[in-house]
Amino acid sequence: MNLLPKKIGNFFGLIYEQMFDFCFLMVYNRDMISEEKLKILTESAKYDVSCSSSGSARKNAGGMGNGYVAGCCHSFTPDGRCVSLLKILLSNDCIYNCKYCPNRLDADVPRATATADEICQLTIDFYKRNYIEGLFLSSAVYKNPDYTMEQLLLVVKKLRTEYGFHGYIHLKGIPRADERMMTEAARFVDRMSYNVELPSEKSLKLLAPQKSKESLLTPMKTLATQTERFREEKRKGFVKGYFLPAGQTTQMIIGASPEADGHILRLTNALYQKNGLKRVYYSSYVPVVRDKSLPEVGAGQLREHRLYQADWLLRFYGFSVEEIVEENENLSMEFDPKCAWALRNMHLFPVEINRAPLETLLRVPGIGAKNAYKIIEARKYTKLTFEDLTKMRVALKRAKHFITCNGKFFGAKNEHAVRGLLTAAETQESAEQLNVFGMLSTPQNALIALHGQL
Amino acid sequence: MVYVFDGTKIGFLTALLIAFSDPVAIVTSKQTQIPLGMTVMQVHNDPVRAKKAEERLFSFDPDCLFDLDRLLRSGMQNNEQLAFRYLRFIAQEKRPVSKRLANPDVFAAVECIKKVGLEIHKMHGFIRFMETASGALYAPFSPDNDICDLILPHFRARLPQFPFVLHDVKRKKAAVYDGTSTFVAPLAQADVLLSADELGWQSLWKEYYGAVNIPSRKRLKQMRGYMPQRYWKFLPERQESPPDL
Ligand code: SF4
Repeated sequence: MNLLPKKIGNFFGLIYEQMFDFCFLMVYNRDMISEEKLKILTESAKYDVSCSSSGSARKNAGGMGNGYVAGCCHSFTPDGRCVSLLKILLSNDCIYNCKYCPNRLDADVPRATATADEICQLTIDFYKRNYIEGLFLSSAVYKNPDYTMEQLLLVVKKLRTEYGFHGYIHLKGIPRADERMMTEAARFVDRMSYNVELPSEKSLKLLAPQKSKESLLTPMKTLATQTERFREEKRKGFVKGYFLPAGQTTQMIIGASPEADGHILRLTNALYQKNGLKRVYYSSYVPVVRDKSLPEVGAGQLREHRLYQADWLLRFYGFSVEEIVEENENLSMEFDPKCAWALRNMHLFPVEINRAPLETLLRVPGIGAKNAYKIIEARKYTKLTFEDLTKMRVALKRAKHFITCNGKFFGAKNEHAVRGLLTAAETQESAEQLNVFGMLSTPQNALIALHGQL
Repeated sequence: MVYVFDGTKIGFLTALLIAFSDPVAIVTSKQTQIPLGMTVMQVHNDPVRAKKAEERLFSFDPDCLFDLDRLLRSGMQNNEQLAFRYLRFIAQEKRPVSKRLANPDVFAAVECIKKVGLEIHKMHGFIRFMETASGALYAPFSPDNDICDLILPHFRARLPQFPFVLHDVKRKKAAVYDGTSTFVAPLAQADVLLSADELGWQSLWKEYYGAVNIPSRKRLKQMRGYMPQRYWKFLPERQESPPDL
């Protein structure tokens, strides 16, 4: 980069002149979507939990856009969530009747369907202004699964080829649609997801009769195999391009059906192990529809929160699902899963902060991965004391009961006291969050809180 | 003693050499950082000695010049003092020290460097371009740290067909990509004529932003934590009218 300041009198004038060469290379037909349609199609997509734009290193190949491996938040809404992708439904006009969904056939809600060009243009113009990192496209089942998938495929294909867009695209697949369209779409998008929806076949039958475990898992498995094969061939130089560089994710509703956390985490683990999923998302059920097959009360967000914590232990902290919870049991609401595990295994503690290997540090309640690495590095140069840890901003409220610093212990004397103090720490921390969780459960909020897409 | 330099890298390195063995040295380029009653010494740049110092520092820790660049770009009040204490420590130890986080000087410097990096990452998200009548993109912003040229490559890579201007209105300078090359130039004020559609897209964006919010889960503190209020002025979704230019 040329850092020498160029003195230019007419700063913008100069740019204007040079501009004409590049700026109108791409001729768009500017179909601007109407505000009303945008509202209908994004309102019901917003409850999708995933907003991640990470994992793709797609290169710019002319046109606009590229991937950002670390992911990128472009804004935050007053509910504290990150806005990264333009989450939108192609249509909310559904022929299915999943009991928990606001867009189901029987529901009396305004319906809208966007054209491929409306979605493409919206994506391009938002992206260009740096509002978004890319597109998260899904749809209700409009007309029939094949037709819907065909339209979704048309959008992503157009976006990549006609509109020259190389930014992030997450596409939700439509179960029971022709597999060939799925495979073709995978060549264009960064990530795909088929949602498990509910943690067991029995619950699916009851609540989402048009879907089956098999119709959701088969596409996932096929894509996993195809991704493997593609990577292999790309390595050998037989193929070019991309095939789901950011992998697959899935989502399930927690608390609409009776499965225990132990069951849910085993399913999660299997999805990670067997189908190579990147993430499993949970969304806590909120009652919207009165139906005898649905519970009257929703699952609190605390349960969802605990499941995510357990999910992290599985993925980043070297825990096995058996260590976390029994198959037919639920996670403790009182303690986070790592704390609960440590309390069951007090004989392993305290550990010496200056000697414990990384795997052990990672198992200390309150010490996250980042801090564990920090400690490992810093202790090479000096014997770390309790004060050193404070200076390094390692949170010790919980950890102090499980560690010694240079042989010194700063925690509570006995296990009983530890439990008491940990509960206190936990309550204080989640008080604010719980407040927020409480607010969700009004019927009107609940109505919109159900996520209405596949 | 207080060592006052001109804010440049050469000035800093010269100050580092002069102040090296002064245990109570304060190194700064800001008038506001000079404590009352202390003797002040104006540092005169010595490019030759500075170059040598730079080479030695590089031989001790190849990353420390990157660190120095970040530290000097920081908008923190005492950033230059942090840089001084950190680099002097490297020179004393003759090896990298960045992992010795139990040392307060290292910890403070590393945090400061991290903050600059973090703002670069944040700005990759929070920059808002407006489309001008000619099709060039214009983004005014007011970062804490002096980073407009550091965020440019990101946008150049993703929008190679659009000339754009990243205008740091606080420092009155801009990083510019004119469609082929990039440069930094002083820019106090820009007259921008918006394209016909610009306000239409802005209002669609505001509509979208409103639609994806879940009103029952108000967590303003969290929102402000991730997206500090001082950045809002330039975000269409958080302001009523475009910023006064
Ligand atoms: S969950 Fe999907 S398929 Fe089921 S009714 Fe809702 S939009 Fe239709």
